[in-house]
Amino acid sequence: MLKDITVSFAPHISQPLSTRRVMIDVAVGLLPAMAVAGIYFRIHALLLIGTCVIWCAATEWVCNQIRRKPNSLGDFSAVVTGIILALSLPPGLKLWAAAIGSVVSIVVGKMAFGGLGANVFNPAMVGRAFLTASFGVMMTTWTVPASIDAGMPELSSDDTVDTRTQATPLAWSKTAIKDKDEAKTYSSRLLFSTVTGEVAGSLGETSAIAILLGGAYLLWRKTIGFHIPAAVLGSAFVAAAIAYLVNADAYVQPFFHLTSGALLFGAFFIATDPVTAPLTRRGMWLFGIGVGTVTMVIRILGEYPEGMMFAVLLMNAVTPLIDRLCKRIPAGGRPHA
Amino acid sequence: MTDDLKDGCTFSRGVHPPESKHLTEDRPIEPGPAVGELSILLSQHIGAPCQAAVMKGDLVEAGQRIGECQAFVCAPAHAPVAGKVKELALKPHPVLGRCQAITIEAQDPTPPSLPSFDLPADFDPARYKPDEICEAVRDAGLVGMGGAGFPTSVKIQPDAKPPKHTLLVNGCECEPYITCDYRIMLEWTDQVLAGIRLAQRACGASKVFIGIEDNKPKAIEAMSAAIARAGSTGDIRVVPLQTKYPQGGERQLINAVLGRTVPTGGIPPMIGVVVINVATAAAIADAVLYNRPLTHRVVTVTGEAIARPGNYYVPIGTPVEALIEFCGGVTEKSAKVVMGGPMMGLAIADLTTPITKTGGAVTVLTRHQIGQAKFERRQTACIRCGRCLEVCPENLNPTRIAHAVKSNLLDVAESHFIGACIECGCCSYVCPANIELTGYIKTGKIFLARQRKKMPA
Repeated sequence: MLKDITVSFAPHISQPLSTRRVMIDVAVGLLPAMAVAGIYFRIHALLLIGTCVIWCAATEWVCNQIRRKPNSLGDFSAVVTGIILALSLPPGLKLWAAAIGSVVSIVVGKMAFGGLGANVFNPAMVGRAFLTASFGVMMTTWTVPASIDAGMPELSSDDTVDTRTQATPLAWSKTAIKDKDEAKTYSSRLLFSTVTGEVAGSLGETSAIAILLGGAYLLWRKTIGFHIPAAVLGSAFVAAAIAYLVNADAYVQPFFHLTSGALLFGAFFIATDPVTAPLTRRGMWLFGIGVGTVTMVIRILGEYPEGMMFAVLLMNAVTPLIDRLCKRIPAGGRPHA
Repeated sequence: MTDDLKDGCTFSRGVHPPESKHLTEDRPIEPGPAVGELSILLSQHIGAPCQAAVMKGDLVEAGQRIGECQAFVCAPAHAPVAGKVKELALKPHPVLGRCQAITIEAQDPTPPSLPSFDLPADFDPARYKPDEICEAVRDAGLVGMGGAGFPTSVKIQPDAKPPKHTLLVNGCECEPYITCDYRIMLEWTDQVLAGIRLAQRACGASKVFIGIEDNKPKAIEAMSAAIARAGSTGDIRVVPLQTKYPQGGERQLINAVLGRTVPTGGIPPMIGVVVINVATAAAIADAVLYNRPLTHRVVTVTGEAIARPGNYYVPIGTPVEALIEFCGGVTEKSAKVVMGGPMMGLAIADLTTPITKTGGAVTVLTRHQIGQAKFERRQTACIRCGRCLEVCPENLNPTRIAHAVKSNLLDVAESHFIGACIECGCCSYVCPANIELTGYIKTGKIFLARQRKKMPA
């Protein structure tokens, strides 16, 4: 009658959901940001994204070969790491530098810890931190969007002198705010630009609309919870508001902080990386508040105009501690020993 | 009294697996197959196994007690049919692997006939003394028929402390596929109600709630109508619940209906609540009014791989094989035979495993279905997405516990309250990495029990 029957633990049915599906969802959520990057930074954007994805995937494959582990490219996590890394890079970055960043992301950020699920730090941010430390000038040279400057250099041109660059909104706010008259008129125009994305900055971080669109998709798909983005943005807003209230002349208005720089992108796509964020909801709140606050402390008090990357890496390091603090207690309370 | 109750209430978290009840929900209870050989397992309940009261070669009557028990938490076993004791031997058991059983060769293999139940016109539970009810229930070998198999007489005994103020009747049947309780509520409505009244009389509860999920509107209607017919005094109420798994878990049911939480590691009587299943209620009426021991039960034989799914009234001890054959056999696609539903049921390796008092269903799953389930798909690394935490009805951290067990860190598993797990399977069901979290947790619990008892492996 029945020749071979399977015996296993219950449950015997499961939701049709896989890690691959989760990763593809994240990639889909990143589409609007990639599209906007393509519009404003043209071929630079496509080449950077392509380079990062291919190098991340290839590196993971090689690592698996060396470790004699089964090929793990099928979970698409390397692709997501590549996209996020690319979107966090300045548009004018040399492709060889992007490739180095990708290799570091995967080797140091992920495979050295044992692969997906075991890494302590967000791999893309590890790669980006390495690039920031190694190629400081290149990583802070911001090409203006092609729509502002049609004379954007061709890629074949090796002549970086011609490249039209611009300060990022945050860098501008740090230095130029002293010139109050210019600041008043310029800041409202710039605020609008940070919403549409027609501004200098990393590939994927410039357009608030695109990021919110992708973030909404992830929330709708339940790929991410609202806790971390809400905590990051909420705490950053509070910190910015406090600074603004203390000295309105020295600091820009808080909304400006929300839409500019990597804060939105990080809140939805980087800090929400499940592997490196806490498990419990309480932990997620703590983690998000930490990321938002540290980012704002760096922005307001630190030397760097942007602090998202450092904030995420720092909070990644304390994630095990947060998990320990926010232990789940059973619904029926602690058992009486 | 019922003011604080609202319809459509439920517990927090949980999952919504496909219900798949359409296969059998409109099939009335029919007599099962005629079986020549029945194996009555001597451990079909929580508590001490019973002792065989017959010897090989003895002739037994239908309903004769063949398994005695001395222990307090125990339930006797009875012969479902007249026949000869063929052997006392180890037989496959869905939970224990192997268990002592009495095999009876039926004298005259005929299909079982559906029991008649006529509620006496002057039925009044107050005429029965609580002790009488408990004794009749114990003599009939009643155990919780919803799955756990706790001896019913112990549950409903009157003199326990603290006093039991609420009787909760479990008509949720939240497991996908299974419809035996649903059919019992529709077809044996009066009997169920009589059993509820008797249980209420025995345990002295002042309030009765019947929890039924809202995907069974006909059952809600039937039970409400029966209560109205019986001229209810207002102390009994049907509570429609939002359909969600595992609503039928007693801890979840109590939370959904009463809004109260049973302490971790505790049992419902600690907060004055008794929970019984509708099938058990029907059996209580049988036992008290007709002195019928628990020898038959309704079993849903179902699954996409079964040719003729349905709800059958079968003698306890019927081998699963006979039931499947009776339902037209299985198709090519079938790959897994589960006693119970797909969420908590036990996959069996030996198709001669007999039906027990607690087994309400035989579900045969197709290769395609279990391809979607965990076993055949490759397990990938945990990405700490937290979905298992989001669905855990007991608010545990399944991935942490499971990975502690995997690394043989039982103390860590215990520090994350492994003992509070109700093994509902929600975490495994949602896991995108195909990790058998529930399986690891069950394994960890077994290891811990062995450690405590210094049991040999």
